Amino acid sequence: MKKGLWFLFLLALALAQSPLEKLKAALDRLRGPAHEGVYLLRVERPGLEKVYRLKVYTDVERAHFRVLEPKGEAGLAYLSLGQDLYLYDPRLGRTLRLPPSARGERFLGSDLTYQDLMGRDLERLFEVSEAEGTLVLTPRPGAPTPYGKVEVYLKEGFLERVLYFDQRGQAVRELLLKGYQALSGGVLPREMELKDLLRPGYRTLVQILEVRAGPVPERCFTPLYLERGC
Amino acid sequence: MTLLRLAWRNVWRQRRRTLLLSLVVVYVTVAVLFMLGFLDGYGESLVESYAAYVEAPVVVAPRAFFEDPDLENGFKSPFQVDHPKVLAQSPRLSLPALLRSPYRSLGGTLLGVDPEGERALSRVPAKVVEGRWLSDPGEMVLGQRLAERLDVRVGERLLVETGKGALGLTVVGLVRSGVSNVDFYGAYAHLSDARALSGIWATHLALKVPKGQEERVARDLNGRLPPGLEARGVWDLMGPIRADYEANRLFFFPLLGLFLLLAALAVVSTAYVSVRERLREFAVAEALGLTPRRLAGQVALEAAFASGLGFLLGLLLGYALLWYTSTHDVFGPLMRLSVELLPEAGLAEHLYTALRPGYALFAFLVVLFSALLALLFPGRLLLRMEASRYLKEA
Repeated sequence: MKKGLWFLFLLALALAQSPLEKLKAALDRLRGPAHEGVYLLRVERPGLEKVYRLKVYTDVERAHFRVLEPKGEAGLAYLSLGQDLYLYDPRLGRTLRLPPSARGERFLGSDLTYQDLMGRDLERLFEVSEAEGTLVLTPRPGAPTPYGKVEVYLKEGFLERVLYFDQRGQAVRELLLKGYQALSGGVLPREMELKDLLRPGYRTLVQILEVRAGPVPERCFTPLYLERGC
Repeated sequence: MTLLRLAWRNVWRQRRRTLLLSLVVVYVTVAVLFMLGFLDGYGESLVESYAAYVEAPVVVAPRAFFEDPDLENGFKSPFQVDHPKVLAQSPRLSLPALLRSPYRSLGGTLLGVDPEGERALSRVPAKVVEGRWLSDPGEMVLGQRLAERLDVRVGERLLVETGKGALGLTVVGLVRSGVSNVDFYGAYAHLSDARALSGIWATHLALKVPKGQEERVARDLNGRLPPGLEARGVWDLMGPIRADYEANRLFFFPLLGLFLLLAALAVVSTAYVSVRERLREFAVAEALGLTPRRLAGQVALEAAFASGLGFLLGLLLGYALLWYTSTHDVFGPLMRLSVELLPEAGLAEHLYTALRPGYALFAFLVVLFSALLALLFPGRLLLRMEASRYLKEA
């Protein structure tokens, strides 16, 4: 009996995840498996709404976004390769390499940044601890983040809500993730909602309209194919 | 001597006319003195702002950096100058950066400085109004207005991103210098952080030299520096605001010339009317032995006396006004408005006029013009006068 209890205790220890491991696992699930799909991006402002349809190719580490609609911006394409970010603007007819700082910029004028879509800053820049089932992230010394604290709410290991606080303890941004769907090789949230808590009426919604899990052609992740499409 | 006395008496025979003439000259003299003092004061204020706050009295950098201020064109390795007039020197690293708080992102220029070196070179460290000046890596100091726009406070971390990397720097102090570039755009970090974000030693070397010797030291250094390096005095570092100042000067001088000419014309036209009214008197004087040339000289002297009186009174009032505006912040509200409207121009919130004795010489031209024009017009009238005709009429 005593031996059995010890065995269970050691098994529980081995299976128990640290807060950082929990965060890593949740982020892995957030990006889903390699897939291509069509996303709907709805940018809401007081008295104004703009809707984009995007074609997305991603292998989790890298991502290629192409604007399909509205027609005025169709053809605009972004390629995220680790820290490198490329933009193809059909009006210029050129592919531009953006500086790393652009990863923190707003994506298509929405409340989302490239980091929200592709990055793993949460595990890279923050110390992770756990309090009452919530992951509490505090910036590492000198970490390049303007936030004072981030709270990550998990539900059954899936990332459900991320709350960003300024350095005065006030919540400034909220990211909500809903409707995780199982795909071959992983899961992917069907909806992502980002609210600017400082400016009422500023909200961005991302909905996955179509998705096909599976390998994505390598050419999709080369800057050359930003212009041609892949 | 007799002619002088005669002219002086004639000036006082028509007191009202003389008074009106003098008032015109007083007005012009005061205007000329004030405009010159204001313009020079504005120029001095700009030089002061750029030498002590925005740039430095003299800057040494690779020539390519002056032509294209790209980090690639900065100093790759340490460099120092050796010149007896250089009182202090410190490397600086100026790099474009994105400053991001949880509320706002603003593009700007981050200036990496050596905290102690900067104290000897610039007045910015002494203008910290909240917190303290830089001491260690990981810290930054912001212009107070920039901090307000970013909504960041002392003790909070600000994200600084450049093309090569990003750092979270803690704001340790806020600066209020009264110079727009510093207060609205000033972002200062430790040199080692700027080096980590750029990978170069410095973009330029800032030098402190005695006031007024900036251009001379820069010229002197240009003869000694290794090939590819260039020294520039503060005047050459001022950017577009220098063109604005020079354009103002170019515009002011013809305007002042026009002022002087109009005043002289006002004096001369009055003198002309006076001469026409007194032709019989001049005919009698000519009959008594005064040559037409001396009569013309008398008229010129009368014009010079009338304008000279105005000139003296104008000098008194003009210099009193200049003294007051050079010691009191009369233009403060106007400058503060300009600073709000043109924050990138490097204007100071205070402007004091300059006060130089040389302005009197420029204003004296009005007396000179009046006398010369009086010789030309009323004087010619006298030279052509037929004295016998006027004597007959008498």
